[in-house]
Amino acid sequence: MDFLGVITSHYNAFLVGAAMTAVVSAVSIALGMILGLWLAFGLISRNRPLRRASAVYRSAWRGTPILVQLLIVFYLLPEIGLDVPPVAAAIIALTMNTAAFQAEIFRGGLLTIPSGQVEAARMLGIRVLRIRVRILIPQMMRLVLPALINETISILKNSSLISVIAVTELMRTSQQVVSVTYRPLETYMIAAVVYLAMNLVLARAGAWFERRHALAAR
Amino acid sequence: MSFDIDIVFRYGPLLLSGLWTTVYVCALASLLAVAAGLAAALLYGLPFRAVKLLCRAYIEIMRGTPILILLFILYYGGPSAGLTLEAETVGIVGLGFYGGGYFAEIFRAGFQSIPPGQIEAARMLGIPRPAIVARIQIPQMLTLIIPPSTNQVIILTKESALLSIITVAELTKNTTQMVNETFAVVEPYVAVALLYWLIIEGIALAGGALERRFSRAS
Amino acid sequence: MSEEAESGTMEGKPVVLVEGLHKRFGATHVLKGIDLAVEKSQVVCVIGPSGSGKSTLLRCMAFLDRYDEGRVFIENRLLGYRETDGELTRDSERNIDSVRSVIGMVFQHYNLWPHMTALGNVTEALRVVRKLGRREAEHIGMEMLGKVGLNDKAHDHPARLSGGQQQRTAIARALAIRPHVMFFDEPTSALDPELVGEVLQVMQELASEGMTMVVVTHEMGFAAHVADEVVFMDDGEVVERGSPDDIFKRPRSDRLREFLDTWRSRAI
Repeated sequence: MDFLGVITSHYNAFLVGAAMTAVVSAVSIALGMILGLWLAFGLISRNRPLRRASAVYRSAWRGTPILVQLLIVFYLLPEIGLDVPPVAAAIIALTMNTAAFQAEIFRGGLLTIPSGQVEAARMLGIRVLRIRVRILIPQMMRLVLPALINETISILKNSSLISVIAVTELMRTSQQVVSVTYRPLETYMIAAVVYLAMNLVLARAGAWFERRHALAAR
Repeated sequence: MSFDIDIVFRYGPLLLSGLWTTVYVCALASLLAVAAGLAAALLYGLPFRAVKLLCRAYIEIMRGTPILILLFILYYGGPSAGLTLEAETVGIVGLGFYGGGYFAEIFRAGFQSIPPGQIEAARMLGIPRPAIVARIQIPQMLTLIIPPSTNQVIILTKESALLSIITVAELTKNTTQMVNETFAVVEPYVAVALLYWLIIEGIALAGGALERRFSRAS
Repeated sequence: MSEEAESGTMEGKPVVLVEGLHKRFGATHVLKGIDLAVEKSQVVCVIGPSGSGKSTLLRCMAFLDRYDEGRVFIENRLLGYRETDGELTRDSERNIDSVRSVIGMVFQHYNLWPHMTALGNVTEALRVVRKLGRREAEHIGMEMLGKVGLNDKAHDHPARLSGGQQQRTAIARALAIRPHVMFFDEPTSALDPELVGEVLQVMQELASEGMTMVVVTHEMGFAAHVADEVVFMDDGEVVERGSPDDIFKRPRSDRLREFLDTWRSRAI
């Protein structure tokens, strides 16, 4: 076993790969949040076709493997005349996937907010969009933060799949390191530790927020 | 973009053989995951610090590392540690122990849901630990653990698509082969998405039936 | 029913012997050197304010809670530990089970298994521990349920029984393994007042049949009428012990007098 040798000779590669993983995940989570919020309001909308369409989207993206989704986006975009780099395809696929999961999280959070609050705001003449942005979303966010952290962890882990469409994130970097060092065991274990560390930080942050929220609620 | 249903039929046997591999690999991996999770949850309940710590580490590593990395460590790293396994075996073992980390948490919550007084009463009657687990704890946990377990088996089935990357001839792998041979993109991927959706609906239905059966019994 | 028995030792070896028992939960000293001897067919009632340590004492006597110092002997066998040169090391699960096998325990919250019928609860240990066949186990089970007056409820689940019926089922469950001594941990504290009587009556019948019993209780009436010895605990110590008459009519310590005054003022 030669962990040190692999690390010292490819320190930069791992670092760049990890940064790519972090950036792709963060961007996907952020974009997915916007899409997921729209979808969540669609899911609880009074408009029946909109509610149906949102439900179908949620069901399709939650019910198929993310690898298949990634391949579909990657191969289908050129078919409809959109030639985008792999990184963009990866972010689009991860975003559309996490949006479905986040929508379900948001829906659960929105349901816990008493409907009287919305009615009160409507009676004061506040417009729907403004009610959502200033009243519903802030309350709901605090509630769903732990679930959101879990979703972030899951996207961070799933981002390893974009190595398949040649995005040089941590996973693909590791494969490249293996092709040079011929030390798959050490290399992949190092990558595992890096993923684990990033996720532990996220989990800790989640626990901290949860504690703070629990204190604030008292 | 057009849809040529003929290639789907032409490649039907290939897709179906992939489907079958996916089904039995997932079935075996799920069994292993349940067994590993139950073992970890039971060991976690023992009053030994070192054992508890070891179980915690197992659970955190499984939940914090991408399954792809774990599969690569086993499949590509295994041989250099003297462990050469067939791709399919790696798939079952990898998915099984990965899922075990999640099942451990499900079982732990289940065990915690049973008032300790019931266990004390059993201990005072001299009922041995295995009988307490099998006859008193697990039967009462079922209604609580069946929904998250169903969900976990669904997640595991979706993750099994990754086995295509380590050359297991399951559904996604055979679909990719179809894409490479026909240069068609839309048909194979739509077909595979539908097939996954079918398996997953099947699991959800089975889980729902189990849930109803046990909630009626209690 | 036994007449006023003198406190302290009688002839024969005690069924339960507790020597210098200490128990700490972290920094709090819950039991501060308890001594207790329970002779065959004797009924000992432990009374005292909540938080006095009386339930902890009983739980340590059953080794449901580990004690830190002292000894608990059940029929002359050390419970929970193995002693070598005065050093105590934790005993194996198997030996603990074996020493405990003569104790029947009844809990405040019944602790029935909700997924089994009353009969299922009573027969479980017979089937799993004694390895009896279903027929034989159910025969004994019905006999035990009959003893507590619940023959007609045998096939009901606990959720369909009243609190008093649940506690009587729990008593039948403990009796099924033919214990030599019964431990009762506040058996009527969780019950609605109108259901207390039926449980106390079953316990009184047991006592009159000569069952050895240790009862942690708030039921002063029961203690006064049924106990051979009453032990008053406060703040982790035995403050006073004696016959029911001694304890209830001639209290010597201020703490006991105060406790009885509080209880009488509440009882009215």
